[in-house]
Amino acid sequence: MAAAAATAAAKGNGGGGGRAGAGDASGTRKKKGPGPLATAYLVIYNVVMTAGWLVIAVGLVRAYLAKGSYHSLYYSIEKPLKFFQTGALLEVGIVPSSVVLTSFQVMSRVFLIWAVTHSVKEVQSEDSVLLFVIAWTITEIIRYSFYTFSLLNHLPYLIKWARYTLFIVLYPMGVSGELLTIYAALPFVRQAGLYSISLPNKYNFSFDYHAFLILIMISYIPIFPQLYFHMIHQRRKILSHTEEHKKFE
Amino acid sequence: MKHYEVEILDAKTREKLCFLDKVEPHATIAEIKNLFTKTHPQWYPARQSLRLDPKGKSLKDEDILQKLPVGTTATLYFRDLGAQISWVTVFLTEYAGPLFIYLLFYFRVPFIYGHKYDFTSSRHTVVHLACICHSFHYVKRLLETLFVHRFSHGTMPLRNIFKNCTYYWGFAAWMAYYINHPLYTPPTYGAQQVKLALAIFVICQLGNFSIHMALRDLRPAGSKTRKIPYPTKNPFTWLFLLVSCPNYTYEVGSWIGFAIMTQCLPVALFSLVGFTQMTIWAKGKHRSYLKEFRDYPPLRMPIIPFLL
Repeated sequence: MAAAAATAAAKGNGGGGGRAGAGDASGTRKKKGPGPLATAYLVIYNVVMTAGWLVIAVGLVRAYLAKGSYHSLYYSIEKPLKFFQTGALLEVGIVPSSVVLTSFQVMSRVFLIWAVTHSVKEVQSEDSVLLFVIAWTITEIIRYSFYTFSLLNHLPYLIKWARYTLFIVLYPMGVSGELLTIYAALPFVRQAGLYSISLPNKYNFSFDYHAFLILIMISYIPIFPQLYFHMIHQRRKILSHTEEHKKFE
Repeated sequence: MKHYEVEILDAKTREKLCFLDKVEPHATIAEIKNLFTKTHPQWYPARQSLRLDPKGKSLKDEDILQKLPVGTTATLYFRDLGAQISWVTVFLTEYAGPLFIYLLFYFRVPFIYGHKYDFTSSRHTVVHLACICHSFHYVKRLLETLFVHRFSHGTMPLRNIFKNCTYYWGFAAWMAYYINHPLYTPPTYGAQQVKLALAIFVICQLGNFSIHMALRDLRPAGSKTRKIPYPTKNPFTWLFLLVSCPNYTYEVGSWIGFAIMTQCLPVALFSLVGFTQMTIWAKGKHRSYLKEFRDYPPLRMPIIPFLL
């Protein structure tokens, strides 16, 4: 869902690092964009994020080659992953539209990184972690380079195509990874009573993190199809529109 | 007297929906809406939004045709606001829920707490007091809805009732669960804390009621007039000197009082969420006042004196 929401927010009405000024989503060219200073900031932000996720991608490949297996690769990219995914919180302010969708997307990613994977050390060696890390990495590299090129008004069709096509596989992949990871964390959370507080206490409050995680998993059921079909719809709109444009060139 | 012709087009598709001829120049939008309903009965007036521009603001029911910037053939654009429900219905439903739900927890109805606690009673005085306060609060709201408030709008979108009831009923259940729990821990500073909190609660309830009455008296029955509210002889209304929406100020105060009384974190969270929403409303109201009245008192803040 964090994977899907990222792409959905990005594609729907633009989440992520600045698509202001870029003909996007509906294909209408909005002449008014950010000023030159803001544009510079956005370009730098998107370039840095693209680079960051490339670092993670390279880190994964190198670790795989060094270890000779794809198990427990999380440890080799743990720090840049935390850094760049958490850094995406900055996007929430600079996105021109749908603060709700963007913050939802970033929050769910940050939740998975910190409140699940970081907090429950036992799941860090699970293969499901690799599943969502790969999905996120590929998605983000494409998404941030899409924004960079859009801001510079020079978007290669390949990038646009990739952004609106690869999600078909990456989204379910990411969601599977996320769900399996949360599921794997459950017994350890219950055992340790992680982030949970029970009665009696002087603030008359209780919280069961184990139950909360189960609720999160259940919430994927209504949310995932909505986001997925929204992106399919966006894909049809944008890729066919581009085809038409090409016809008239 | 020249008659007008009115054509009504769909704001999105521009499809011609209705053509009215021989419309009186002094006809109101409300009357035009009624005429439109005759040809499209599924769109009762409350769900019609008519405007001069497809993307523009809705015209008001009181607007008069000849006063609008239109020729003798007026084109109006129609937007369906969706199914509507009356404000009174929404308020009664959203307030009756918490009243009833809290009592389910207070009386420890089966299947909430362990079976050995079914229909037992808490041994803490503050728990009984809290039930009285919470119930009083919602009874007051219900009575105000029926007898005090004069609503500007008749209806709101139907989906609001689901949203609003989820909020009120959900929080009521959440708070009530802990306050009436067999393992409830009474306030740290005991009777002192409860007495202080009760005083805050009562004062704020009286304050809130005073403001509602003052606002009611500003507006004649059946009208939608808006006037600047001013302090009256009732000291509770003197808060108008400092804020635009003292009703919200007092409401927040009541819930803070209730939170201190019960020393229950969910109550504090409910107060916080409510405060956030009321601040948004107060700011909007404050802005409207400033826009509408040139001589609006400059000292006033929206909800918190001098601050917010």
